[in-house]
Amino acid sequence: MGRMVALTLITFFAAIICCSWTKNLPNAPSPNIIIMLMDDMGWGDLGVFGQPSKETPNLDAMAAEGMLLPNFYTANPLCSPSRAALLTGRLPIRNGFYTTNARARNAYTPQDIVGGISKDEILLPQLLKTKGYVSKIVGKWHLGHRPQYLPLKNGFDEWFGSPNCHFGPYNDQSIPNIPVYNNSEMLGRFYEDFKIDRETGESNLTQIYLMEGLDFILRQTKAQQPFFLYWAVDATHAPVYASKRFLGKSQRGRYGDAVMELDYSIGQILKWLRTLGIDNNTFVFFTSDNGAAVMSGPNESGSNGPFLCGKETTFEGGMREPAIAWWPGHIKEGSVNFQLANVMDLFTTSLVLAGINPPDDRILDGLDLTPVLLNCSQPLKNRPIFYYRGNELMAVRLGEYKAHYWTWSNSWEEFRQGINFCPGEEVPNVTTHEQKEHTLQPLIFHLGRDPGEKFPLSVLSKEYQDALSRISAVVQQHKDTLVPGIPQLNMCDSAVMNWAPAGCEKLGKCLKPPESNPWKCDWPH
Amino acid sequence: MGSSCFAFFGILLLCTCSASPPNFVLLFADDLGFGDLGCYGHPSSLTPNLDRLAAEGLRFTDFYSTCPVCSPSRASLLTGRYQTRSGIYPGVLYPGSIGGLPLNETTIAEVLRPLGYATAVIGKWHLGLGHNGMFLPTKQGFDHFLGIPYSHDMGPCKNLTCFPPDIKCYGLCDISNVVVPLMENEVIKQQPVNFLDLERSYSDFAANFITTSVEKKQPFFLYYPSHHTHYPQYAGIGAAGQSLRGPFGDSLLEFDNTVGHLMATLERTGVINNTLVFFTSDNGPELMRMSRGGNAGPLKCGKGTTYEGGMREPAIAYWPGIIKPGVTHEMASTLDILPTLARLAGAELPQVMLDGVDMTDILVKQGKSKREAMIFYPVDPSEKYGLFAVRLGKYKAHFYTQGAFHSSTTPDKDCPETAVFKAHDPPLIFDLEADPCEHYALPVDTPDIQSVLQQVKTVKEQFESSMVFGESQVAKGTDPNLEPCCNPECSPKPSCCQSLPD
Repeated sequence: MGRMVALTLITFFAAIICCSWTKNLPNAPSPNIIIMLMDDMGWGDLGVFGQPSKETPNLDAMAAEGMLLPNFYTANPLCSPSRAALLTGRLPIRNGFYTTNARARNAYTPQDIVGGISKDEILLPQLLKTKGYVSKIVGKWHLGHRPQYLPLKNGFDEWFGSPNCHFGPYNDQSIPNIPVYNNSEMLGRFYEDFKIDRETGESNLTQIYLMEGLDFILRQTKAQQPFFLYWAVDATHAPVYASKRFLGKSQRGRYGDAVMELDYSIGQILKWLRTLGIDNNTFVFFTSDNGAAVMSGPNESGSNGPFLCGKETTFEGGMREPAIAWWPGHIKEGSVNFQLANVMDLFTTSLVLAGINPPDDRILDGLDLTPVLLNCSQPLKNRPIFYYRGNELMAVRLGEYKAHYWTWSNSWEEFRQGINFCPGEEVPNVTTHEQKEHTLQPLIFHLGRDPGEKFPLSVLSKEYQDALSRISAVVQQHKDTLVPGIPQLNMCDSAVMNWAPAGCEKLGKCLKPPESNPWKCDWPH
Repeated sequence: MGSSCFAFFGILLLCTCSASPPNFVLLFADDLGFGDLGCYGHPSSLTPNLDRLAAEGLRFTDFYSTCPVCSPSRASLLTGRYQTRSGIYPGVLYPGSIGGLPLNETTIAEVLRPLGYATAVIGKWHLGLGHNGMFLPTKQGFDHFLGIPYSHDMGPCKNLTCFPPDIKCYGLCDISNVVVPLMENEVIKQQPVNFLDLERSYSDFAANFITTSVEKKQPFFLYYPSHHTHYPQYAGIGAAGQSLRGPFGDSLLEFDNTVGHLMATLERTGVINNTLVFFTSDNGPELMRMSRGGNAGPLKCGKGTTYEGGMREPAIAYWPGIIKPGVTHEMASTLDILPTLARLAGAELPQVMLDGVDMTDILVKQGKSKREAMIFYPVDPSEKYGLFAVRLGKYKAHFYTQGAFHSSTTPDKDCPETAVFKAHDPPLIFDLEADPCEHYALPVDTPDIQSVLQQVKTVKEQFESSMVFGESQVAKGTDPNLEPCCNPECSPKPSCCQSLPD
């Protein structure tokens, strides 16, 4: 049903467009920008990165037509900070998306979080607006759900999606169900108006998100307006869902079904760009917010391929992301580039593509990747990758060397309850269950030879000493110049939950909040 | 529409092939794991040529060898039969082994030669020398042989150079044997072999063989079982220090470079559209080598074990115009190569019990596999225990499991040799499609799984009743006098068996 509608719409739109718009915009100075951000999808979930299941023909084709970046990272192994980093071009430790309630804890924006993205931060769509871009976010926001933190207050012109994860269902008494917004007003709530069947895993959300994306692209193309589409879908985040057409279709169960549907949708978006004749003028980047949630295996977890552990950890499995850049006629097809890069680079790169100077009043962590993407060069040789968990710099990668200053998987307490962040790969002294400090003698891995982080270099080797001295200098410089932002994720309060989001009155969906009773959030990981 | 054109064109070409039989290039890597190539998701390997074959050819995700170590796997590849039939077990053959691949076994070369094929093998033989070199390739259907008759670690290597300018090989290798020779047909050309120049020799030899065959208008079968990426890794000047992955990556890159050279030769000689290039590996990665070993990607354990990491292999089939680019998830095996090449060449199949099935449909029609099951034998198969595991459709049932020395140092406790032999009744059963990593055994008390187990047991019984164990060739033992020596009369052996490199 949803599919029929989709097909009819596409055909209909295509008919209009082919007659009138195809040739109008081939060389517009400011390319459109689409960032496709998956949720908890792992490096190893794509066929092109070795997944033996057959779920991603469209992503594999996207890679064949574009550039694969095997050394691409997120800024944090959890959703909210990763997304905040992408949109601000700054590490969470700078933009405030972290907690100081305890050392090295991953914090995010559940319903009871008081904070959100700081008003002092400048988000990508705010800057793109200066060049006439129209920006839309489709899907999960996750930078705070209170009114002042929502997308339309932070540079986006349009929004369809939810402020938090699609957890639930809740009883609307102790906890309200998460709202789904259309622009600045709620349209309904998950599990009530937007169904997710926890039994079967059925939900049409990805189809809706696809249509929202296609419709936005069409409108902006017709208006001859450069656009930024931030397509932040979440079907691969637990509870994993797919629409009826995809349920039971993959080899891997429900998770694979979700991947299949996302892959299908990405194929539809790229096809749409071609149909509209704007593929040569649209830069598309595909990646994920953090590593696969291997603790949710076997039913709701993706794969991190050869990498150690996953989501929540600063091992490669937690922060190395699948990444594909696509821009026909500009990015060489079928290319692979080993440049070390991260989500914050997407901020700076997008600005450069749009012809906007990045802000110079603050430290940016993102670099301009256009020489890498457009000329296939690898000019940013010495750029480090910082692996933060909360307020702690856990590890640093420089070239092929990665030094762990702290290691932690999860606590013994959680591990003994059966929560395993590294199933099947407990590496002694590496995947430690206590927060273990190695500052005086960091564990160093050569990720080229040992991408799975299993065999630390001997501290007596010259190789270790050379690598350490180079990395130490980088760490020193980073720490000396670091000005941590004010932590935004310390306080929680049931009163701030999504009781009465804007627009609830019209729908009769307002709920009565409890009295304010703030507490310091408890972040166990 | 496009695909039907393609299929029609494909059939047309196949028909033309009966007039001019296709050439075959069979590339066989050593100890290369499922996750070692760029196109199989290795994050730091440089394998542009193999990646290109994968992008323009057919990449397999469910392709198996028959044994998690070298010699038995190679015996199955060349004969289309499980190693238990030919007797290439337990373990591998040694330089002084009395036994070898029995001469009454029919190799791919022997299948093709009666049709006028020129046949050559370069690289690692490892199916025996025996008395007077009676098991060498030239006695097994190959016109030419340039290579090492066994593994290149089967001789002292501490003083040999593995990387330029003079970086010695890592480790000791087998110190009680003669130093490793390079042989041409039945004659020792170098002893010890010069690792820095070896790949160039192979590459030149292969180019020459292809060019000569084409000039003579002779169809050809080139079998290139590389030493790469087996321990001790080596590489010459074109690849040393060029990868991001250290010695292992350099070794793999050198192999990949040769693949590039071979493809260039096929193009230059104008036969690229009439040549099937097939690539795979003999067994899973030798994880005990740690950073110098291979990578099984997401699969469990590696070399020496009957888990997926030990026997599921990367595999690529490339034949422009005939094989459509893509990925296949059909189950196939090294066993299936002999029947497939025979079919494509129009050759007679040997009149023996074959375990391989024709996979032409998978290659040219994106068709289904004729293979119903895959049998997993351990390194040391015995009639007492029989097979260790069976894959039937998407299910794999382990009747016995055992770790291996070759897979030691991994964090998974099922992999190293400390994971002792264990019988499973009922068998451990995994859904390899949902869980290719064999992490989550399925509960056996559901009706569905009960029925699967019943089918598995039927397949197992049928298979084992058809299995006649050949006499073990490895158990015939070794005789130091059979080790190849460039100064046959010298003493003291083995150290006197050395010559100046030519």
